[in-house]
Amino acid sequence: MAIRMKVNGEERVFDIDPDTPLLWALRDTLGLTGTKYGCGMNRCGACTVHVDGRARRSCILPISRLEGREIVTIEGLSPDGGHPVQKAWEKINVPQCGYCQPGQIMSASALLAETPQPSDEQIDGALQVNICRCGTYQRIRLAVHEAAAELAGETDGEAR
Amino acid sequence: MSAARTPIRNPAGEDATGKGRVFKAELDRRRFVQAGAAAGLTLGFTPHVLARLNTAGTSSAADAAKSFAPAAYIRIDASGTTLIVHRSEMGQGARTSCAMLLAEELELPWEEIRIEQADGDPKYGNQNTDGSTTVRLNWQPLREAGAAARTMLVAAAAQGWDVAAGECRAEAGRVLHAGSGRSATYGELAAVAATLDVPEKPMLKDKKDHKILGTPRALVDVPDIVRGQAVYGIDVVRPGMLYASIERCPTIKGTLGSLDPEAALAVPGVKKVLPLEGAAQPFNLNAGVAVVAENTFAALKGRKALQIEWKTGEGLESSGAFRDKLQQLVDGDGKPFRSEGDFAAAKAAAARTLSASFHGPHLVHAPMEPLAATAVVTDEGCEIWAPCQDPMTARQRVAAALELDLAQVTVHVTLLGGGFGRKSKPDFILEAAKIAQQMKGTPIKLTWTREDEVRHGFYRAQNAQKLEATLDESGRLTGWRQHTAFPTILSTFMPGATDPSGFELGMGLTNLPYRIPSIQLESSGIASDVRIGWLRSVCNTFHAHAVNCFVDEIAEAAGKDPVQWRLEMLGEPRKLEFSDRDKPYGLDTGRLSAVIRRCAEVSRWGEKTLAEGVQRGFASHFSFLTYVAATLDASLDEEGKVKVHEVDLVVDCGTVVNPDTVRAQMEGAVVFALSMAFFGEITVENGAVQQSNFHDYPMLRIDQMPRVNVEILDSDAPPSGVGEPGVPPIAPALVNAIAKLTGKRVYDLPLTRAGLA
Ligand code: FES
Ligand code: FES
Repeated sequence: MAIRMKVNGEERVFDIDPDTPLLWALRDTLGLTGTKYGCGMNRCGACTVHVDGRARRSCILPISRLEGREIVTIEGLSPDGGHPVQKAWEKINVPQCGYCQPGQIMSASALLAETPQPSDEQIDGALQVNICRCGTYQRIRLAVHEAAAELAGETDGEAR
Repeated sequence: MSAARTPIRNPAGEDATGKGRVFKAELDRRRFVQAGAAAGLTLGFTPHVLARLNTAGTSSAADAAKSFAPAAYIRIDASGTTLIVHRSEMGQGARTSCAMLLAEELELPWEEIRIEQADGDPKYGNQNTDGSTTVRLNWQPLREAGAAARTMLVAAAAQGWDVAAGECRAEAGRVLHAGSGRSATYGELAAVAATLDVPEKPMLKDKKDHKILGTPRALVDVPDIVRGQAVYGIDVVRPGMLYASIERCPTIKGTLGSLDPEAALAVPGVKKVLPLEGAAQPFNLNAGVAVVAENTFAALKGRKALQIEWKTGEGLESSGAFRDKLQQLVDGDGKPFRSEGDFAAAKAAAARTLSASFHGPHLVHAPMEPLAATAVVTDEGCEIWAPCQDPMTARQRVAAALELDLAQVTVHVTLLGGGFGRKSKPDFILEAAKIAQQMKGTPIKLTWTREDEVRHGFYRAQNAQKLEATLDESGRLTGWRQHTAFPTILSTFMPGATDPSGFELGMGLTNLPYRIPSIQLESSGIASDVRIGWLRSVCNTFHAHAVNCFVDEIAEAAGKDPVQWRLEMLGEPRKLEFSDRDKPYGLDTGRLSAVIRRCAEVSRWGEKTLAEGVQRGFASHFSFLTYVAATLDASLDEEGKVKVHEVDLVVDCGTVVNPDTVRAQMEGAVVFALSMAFFGEITVENGAVQQSNFHDYPMLRIDQMPRVNVEILDSDAPPSGVGEPGVPPIAPALVNAIAKLTGKRVYDLPLTRAGLA
């Protein structure tokens, strides 16, 4: 039984074991390896993607539950890496090994979509699920504020 | 600071579906000038550089001596210049720092550099990316390689223009002749330059002329990372590849009792079930059963369906009993490794003695990317793609295990999603190669689960230490005895090795820097039933911990401020060189005093009014030839759990190549150390590790992140380690703060044991 969903704007059909977590369907079936495996049990956030605009852990989401949903992965967050969160991550030079960062960026971008000017506490709340073993948390906070500032600037620009 | 775009390519050069992933084009935007230069210039060791590397005495360097071929760090052809990085990137900035060293001397504009990751090959010298040595070992050779290439390019231009070389200079990837206004790109000059002799002693640039070295640079892989396009070992895709997962025996020497593969083979997508035999040191393989399938999930599902009985062995290590044995050892006499004065006499004459025992557990690395390796075996040999810290050891072990010539084994190095020492061990690579050997022609990607990584690690050793201090009537310290006991890392290389080695004791103990009339340092060994390995900062973590906590206690007993006590006990600057680890620069107590003094200044030690309920601890340590001092502010919440608010850290790591990397590594070290101190504990029951994933081996999270302020001291000393030295002082600074918060000293880590985390 094929399962259909939209991944990064494209209609995709999965004809694989419906128990397959979205994580492995993305990585192995679609070759979208930007979404990472870290724990497989909702404990590290490395596999974070957007499902209908909200941050979700793809390692515990079987594709059988995603019929008709819209998935966005790190590869589809922006056409060219120009999402304000990606730009802020580059500007602040957040990553060390970088392995956790697609997940961090997907969590941060979902947070900003809902809470454009988050406090440190709100950032901590939204990104608490995302472990960074390299310890880039201080820069992540800075970069989220940086992205929020850019988003605010953009909005102002449009208003004018 | 814009970073150059320098992807590690997916080895397939195409995406998983085979439709040709287009990696962003390299950043080389220079005008392509076709100069008919067929030959290019590649440049590596000049002979004197090779000689120096050979004295490093590592296996890779020894190989380099045998098969001297100029190792290519730089390749210039008509299309431009490529820098070849031979050290592994795991977030510590190796690719960026190596490129900076080359680009500086080669006068390349940073925005345009192009990087290629080297395969494992003796021609590059020591590629074992461990011990915080990348910049230290390559500071000279890589600058010399760059300078030699620059000199040759200038000479080639001068020859072509028939002018004196002294009238020409290299700038931004070109050679210029000021008098005539002529210029040529490196690409245009490469063919001629390649015919010239490599200069014996190329002139290095003056520090004041550095444009790249010493300036903050973003890591070169950041643009790919934020786009999800960086390729780690787990991301490798090869045409026709199958996916493997291994169920392993829970104990290292256990064997397979029985196996029923039927249910696993019935899982859709499962192709094969393969028993794998264990292998002793130096291969260090657990017995296992591999499930090979069409995708990762099918392999995992098949693995769950396996019916296996293991013969695990009886009477193996259990953590509680192991702790008691360690305590018994340190309660007795050990093997002395540094003795000065007469501790027994000091003790007999003491007005007061202090004594304390410290314990630390086994720890596992938990890099965010678990282990993964891809291998294919054909009639020609074995080709491997892996996130490895030490590609040459991997190559050697695979060649030995598969009975191939070294030349038949290729190891491509991907990015590492963290390493921390774990990915220096090639066990996971060997496993992939052994599966591939039984499925000739089919590329096999082996992916470890987190559970596999936690349970089948090479652990930081469980340890105990007993310390005794003797004080005279005035509170002056007259004697120090310290007995350390832990299973040695040598046991991972040699069966039966139990005694701690000199290099392990040299990590934070042999070089105890204080002037104490009587010093007696002893060690004891013990055999462990788990594999022992390198974990970031290695033995420094527990040695620095006990020393710094005990110093606090002694200072308190003497009625002294702990910072003042340290400075007094260090006294006039001296140079200590007790251990090979301290070579070649020694421990300069003056530099240690300087970071301590500066840290007290920036944190306003003893002056700053701390917030209600906040207390501050201090610690300092010398490791990997680098000096670090830190203060840490902490409080207790309503539930009595520790919260860390702020850390001020001062580091002297000699000459700095990339200050932003130094900062990042110190920030990360604080997090790594706090995870260890709060929660880090691996326990073993009858030889089997009991933890499995982040729920029972937790990590610090963003809501627990303190503010970290880093100051880097200016220094002209040769560069020293950066990746590891930030870790050791953090836990003792924390425990010293806790002593002030609770009035009680913590002797056992992690803090969860005392309900403090
Ligand atoms: S891999 Fe999904 S939360 Fe860790
Ligand atoms: S950057 Fe390495 S785990 Fe976050």
